[in-house]
Amino acid sequence: MKRILTAALLGIALGGLGMAQQRVTIDFWHSMGGVLGEATDALAKDFNASQNRITVRSQFVGSYDDGLNKLRAALQAGGQGRPNVIQVYDIGARFMADSGAVLPLEDLARANNFDFSQFVSQPRSYYSVDGKLFGLAFNSSNPILYFNAALLEQAGIPYRNTWSLAELEEAARKLTVRDASGKTTRFGLSIPIDSWFMEQFSYNSGQFFCNNENGRRARATEVTFNNPAAVALLDTWAKLVREGVAANTGRGWADSQALFAQGNAAIAIYSTASLTGVLRQVGNRFPLRTAFYPYQNERNGTAIGGAAVYLIRGFSDEQNAASWEFIRYLLRPETQAKWIIGTGYFPVVKGVAELPMVRQAYVRQPNFTTALRQLETSKVNNSTAGCLMGGFTEIRQIVQSAIEEAFRGKPAKQALDEAKVRADQVLARYNASVRQ
Amino acid sequence: MIRAENPDMTAKRPVKQHRARLLGESLEAALLIGPGLVLLLLFIVWPTLNAFWLSFHRENLLGTRLEWVGLANYAEMLREPAFWRSVGATFLFAAIVAPVQLLLGLLAALMVARPFAGVAFFRTLFFLTTAVPTAVAAVAWGWFLHPIGGTVNRWLGAVGLPAQPWLTSVELALPTLAIVTAWAGVGFTAILLTAGLQQIPEDLYEAARIDGANAWTQFWRITLPMLSPTLFLVGLLTMLSSLTAFGQIHLLTRGGPVESTMVWVYRIYQDAFFNFRFSYAAAQAVALFLMLLLLAGLQFRWFGKKVHYE
Amino acid sequence: MSSLPRWLARPLFYLALGVYAWLLMLPLLTLLSASFRSDADLYVPGLIPPRPTLEAYQEGVTKFPVGRYLLNSLVVSLVVTSGVLLISATMGYALARIRFSSQNLLFGFVVALLLIPGEVTFLPLYLMVQQFGWINSYWALTVPFIAAPLGIFLLRQFLKSLPQDLFDAARIDGAGHLRILWYVALPLAAPALGALAALTFLGTWNMYLWPLVVINNNEMKTAQIAIAQVLSVEVTSWNVVAAVSILVLLPTLIAFLLAQRTFIRGISLGGLKG
Repeated sequence: MKRILTAALLGIALGGLGMAQQRVTIDFWHSMGGVLGEATDALAKDFNASQNRITVRSQFVGSYDDGLNKLRAALQAGGQGRPNVIQVYDIGARFMADSGAVLPLEDLARANNFDFSQFVSQPRSYYSVDGKLFGLAFNSSNPILYFNAALLEQAGIPYRNTWSLAELEEAARKLTVRDASGKTTRFGLSIPIDSWFMEQFSYNSGQFFCNNENGRRARATEVTFNNPAAVALLDTWAKLVREGVAANTGRGWADSQALFAQGNAAIAIYSTASLTGVLRQVGNRFPLRTAFYPYQNERNGTAIGGAAVYLIRGFSDEQNAASWEFIRYLLRPETQAKWIIGTGYFPVVKGVAELPMVRQAYVRQPNFTTALRQLETSKVNNSTAGCLMGGFTEIRQIVQSAIEEAFRGKPAKQALDEAKVRADQVLARYNASVRQ
Repeated sequence: MIRAENPDMTAKRPVKQHRARLLGESLEAALLIGPGLVLLLLFIVWPTLNAFWLSFHRENLLGTRLEWVGLANYAEMLREPAFWRSVGATFLFAAIVAPVQLLLGLLAALMVARPFAGVAFFRTLFFLTTAVPTAVAAVAWGWFLHPIGGTVNRWLGAVGLPAQPWLTSVELALPTLAIVTAWAGVGFTAILLTAGLQQIPEDLYEAARIDGANAWTQFWRITLPMLSPTLFLVGLLTMLSSLTAFGQIHLLTRGGPVESTMVWVYRIYQDAFFNFRFSYAAAQAVALFLMLLLLAGLQFRWFGKKVHYE
Repeated sequence: MSSLPRWLARPLFYLALGVYAWLLMLPLLTLLSASFRSDADLYVPGLIPPRPTLEAYQEGVTKFPVGRYLLNSLVVSLVVTSGVLLISATMGYALARIRFSSQNLLFGFVVALLLIPGEVTFLPLYLMVQQFGWINSYWALTVPFIAAPLGIFLLRQFLKSLPQDLFDAARIDGAGHLRILWYVALPLAAPALGALAALTFLGTWNMYLWPLVVINNNEMKTAQIAIAQVLSVEVTSWNVVAAVSILVLLPTLIAFLLAQRTFIRGISLGGLKG
């Protein structure tokens, strides 16, 4: 008995000693390449330098899909090599919650008495599933309008902050230049083929992209991307493409951005996260101005895009505590400030925009405030919470195909109705695989 | 007895030696074959069987559990219009690649098969695409056909034609990819066809010249018939390899627009690694395998006898 | 052509040759041109960069571990090539030159494996490699490929075609098969081995789908899939994409120029496998 007691005591003492000396290492997988990747790795480095107990190993794992694949691979192999923290794109929210592999952030936050009122509401509502916050919005963005201000002025169109679809169409027509043979030499508008813009237009017009109020009241079982707003956008967009007013540069954003930066398209729609890159490409060619995303009848507000970081289950309490410390660090206003200035994303906690360094940056480049103001003036409802559903990756492909079909002449409503049939099958299959 | 024993005695030693030697040979054979055989079984046979096994299952969300569903994946695949579209795209792709590549390669081969001053230089240029990795070929063409900076659209503009959306239009994307693929294969085709041309005996041409046949007649009467086995074989190889093209599609179109370049292999990749439907992807892979086997079988049956080569 | 006078036919032939070669090389030349341009000059027409600069190369190698990518490709290609040579030589020799029961069966088996395309096995192989914990490692990129049915088949055919006397002599001297393999068969098979090596090296260097699925760690990427990575990150800077692509092209190009004969033999051998 005594021996056992001694051994136990010794064990505790040694354990304590070990704890005091050993640094906890946590793995963080992210999908930020290039400049954004450097900024991300810098955050981890700063965190490591800010204290001496925890080391974050930050690793770039390729695209968001690559990251998810890698996570799946690790979980399939019995969890070996899975990360403590992983960054997953916006539309992976339903999957992450359904996977059962995620330690909900809300549980940790409550256990650590974190004040939830610090959160900006949309990032919080977007990543909440069944009323519980699962992931922390890490890089958040929304779509905005990009204007070639020189061309706008030339055409005598006054700059405005908010644009309805009809107004945008009118401006795009005015800004289009054709040669004698009727061939377009300068496009009025350029939008990359991306389902995200259809989603956001639905939200901004007060519509839902999937049923059960964007899957927020109950699990989504059907898509509703054939809603009147989405049909109107696609109808107008396809019409403008066919008439040579809008450019069709395909699904990649790069060609559209090159077109815009070369002055060959007067208006464009990209993410706020594209701003740094577009500014660099434009250089001194023309002054650039940004504005809120368009809407159909009345502006409701946009949802957030981007990605969130999740804590993965199956680690010791000590490791989880360390992961939480890292999350806590990411949420600090100073960290957020550094992050958003380097990247063009917007903060997810309140009070960041008031920090002196952020204010200075915003004065230097006022276009960076557009996204933030758009976020702040968006209504908070289930529409701007964004659609939460599974199989979203595949469904986006289907929507993009529908956009391309509409460009070729299929009526927008028909294209979206047909796409809905396919997307509903994907969703049904996903939901079945969750039950399995 | 004694008489009979004698030859037996003399024969016994060699037999024993022979046996020992055979045993030794078997051991050596086992040593030489063993490692390779294990690897073949582990990395080719087992995964092949596994592909069949997997295709009869359906997995849960994380792919951690499998449920037997029999032929359900196949049934779904055959019902899905998108699958048939991708089959169509695959064959259309191969049907464009093979003749274009053959033609471009033949042209090159005809030019450099016979020696002339500077032949080595031109051979190097014509065979060069063999050394160009698929990814580099794809990127080169991506830029060559770029909507703004691309040379091809500049040329079109110079002669007053509108720039074409080479990789972003439903009608053009697949043929464009096929041209890229054919270009990348020109070196391969040219090498094989040059070898084929060089095997045609020179005296055939001599005789034809004496008969007063011009170059054109010589080509149709001698070159083409004599080269036909090689042409046929190379065409077949080209078609088979283009049925499983992937890299250039991944880099240039990712299956779009409107799934017009969603070929069979790309669909498998997409279903497995983006849509997380591994078993469904496996069913499509098995179907692809069976289709390729069928083609190989037809090749043997129809042409195995007619076309003779070493 | 008999209608054309000789003094005209020659120059016309060279002209046609030159034009065709030029057209074939043009995509690569425009890529080369783009790689020597700055951001500002990227869209300026013309094949010759207006102000040639190494900016794009500099940006490419500072932003991406291009050297590491190439090293990965080199290591993988060399390992696979040596493995294929070893396994093909040993198995090919045993199948051609040692008599043992079930030899025909085994040879038939190898031939049958020729028919199985990698596209069929790659999904289960991926699951297997994942179970082995080989994701993001050289193991995944090399081990599954060192036993190549095509290589075994080619070497067996080649060794079978050699005259028996060459082997008998060694046999009478009492040499074992391992010795014969090393001292007789391999030297004789040198041309076949060289061709197989060239074929395998090119094939491995060109691998795309497999590295794409088993590697998602930047440090472990091979040059091929690194290009996809660069293209997706630098979508707007085609000059950087071009520069990295040219760097990836250089090693195979140089190897091809140096050992053109071997490569051509390898391709002929692989192509005419039937």
